[in-house]
Amino acid sequence: MVKKRLIPKLLIVNRPFGKQEISVLVTTVGFQGERQVGDPVSQAKIYESQLVDELLVLNINSLPIGANRALVELVERLATETFMPLTVGGGVADLRDFAVLLESGADKVSVNTAALRDPDLVSQAARVYGAQCVVVSIDVRRQPDGRMTVVSGRGTVDEGHDPVIWAREMVDRGAGEIILTDVDRDGGSAGLNTALCRAVVDAVNVPVIISGGCGVANHFVEGFADGHAEGVSAGTYFSFRDQNPMQTRSHIANAGIPIRLLT
Amino acid sequence: MSHQPSVGLIHYQAGNIKSLRSAFDWFNVAVRIVESADDFDGLTHVVLPGVGAFGHCADQLRASPAMDRLQDWVRVEKRPLLGVCVGMQLLAAESEEFGHHAGLGWLGGRVTRLRTNDPAIRVPHVGWNTVTVAQPFCGYDVGQTDDYYFDHSFAYEDLSAAHVLGTCTHGRSFPAIVGAGNILAAQCHPEKSQKTGLLLIERFLQMGAA
Repeated sequence: MVKKRLIPKLLIVNRPFGKQEISVLVTTVGFQGERQVGDPVSQAKIYESQLVDELLVLNINSLPIGANRALVELVERLATETFMPLTVGGGVADLRDFAVLLESGADKVSVNTAALRDPDLVSQAARVYGAQCVVVSIDVRRQPDGRMTVVSGRGTVDEGHDPVIWAREMVDRGAGEIILTDVDRDGGSAGLNTALCRAVVDAVNVPVIISGGCGVANHFVEGFADGHAEGVSAGTYFSFRDQNPMQTRSHIANAGIPIRLLT
Repeated sequence: MSHQPSVGLIHYQAGNIKSLRSAFDWFNVAVRIVESADDFDGLTHVVLPGVGAFGHCADQLRASPAMDRLQDWVRVEKRPLLGVCVGMQLLAAESEEFGHHAGLGWLGGRVTRLRTNDPAIRVPHVGWNTVTVAQPFCGYDVGQTDDYYFDHSFAYEDLSAAHVLGTCTHGRSFPAIVGAGNILAAQCHPEKSQKTGLLLIERFLQMGAA
């Protein structure tokens, strides 16, 4: 049986370094207030040594991929220095961006705002690269009137879509995986939105990854057991604690969830 | 290793060459991108990658200037070939992905969609899953189990048991590692399967060593 996945999220911003820009690892709270926490390649190697299942790399500068040399170089380095699956996103706007990232060593490409502007991009990408390469990232948050809606622009723009209906449309168009992030829970360490995850899982037949809110190891268990997620992704959780992925994996396994424990 | 491997990666605009190249570089062997017949000179091992739709990959490979030489390498000279993901599926007789497409037919069998009515079984099949060795190959023993990373929606069906080296289950049991003599091919991604995958690549590099 396919194992449940533990997926560290590497949030990336570009910082000037001499005459060029480099990628640095940050965490956010509610998608705002970047805190620099390290070097993404070093961190990825540590994660690999601790047996994480894959990496999610998201650049949050909203730069076009074609203008983001630092991100492409980061993906190339990750694909050269680690041997695990990479999902890369942040600024993907068209098929050319898919090609650039896949050729740089990404295994899957995550698209978010571009799918909101042009849903047909998802269909086109699935036809060319196969559904297994096409990940649609959906950010959600609760609006003042109580509705839970899909948002963009780091959570500031209400796109109006119901997350479950939007996820189903994306899968109908060819998305092979959905990453669901609750912006209100990002960096809050108070637990995942398992109810929403479950609703999306029940509405689609592709794997669903839940993220936003992991603060203790049991939140991962809840994502799998209550949210029925195939994977749980977390950034902040791994950045400010002694918790390492292997301890977390043991906790998940002890709860009876199938997850890899040994090399 | 008793010989110095020289590895060629077939580049036909349908593969994630970068990651496979990194995996072979890790073993400190010579690696070359192969785009034409001449690029085969001096090679000891050839790798056929593949990402994307079967039909697109098959068309690209058939149109490649390296295709005729690749066929001789595998079918006439019987030298080592590693197929990965769609590069593995292309060895089948046919695929039903987005219509009907003929494969190379070097192993036979058909490539069909992983279908399931079980809501717990999601397609694409993404993540780490267990491969159980079905017959001895490259130092692996029958019954041995290892976890590899998978990312696919289609898999082999009706493949001769003689060619099935390892199986995996996702809704149905499917051949995860296949082979015949000089051919080794994997549905999973050894280049993305951490130490487990690197070991498979090392074993491939030992194929054909006298």
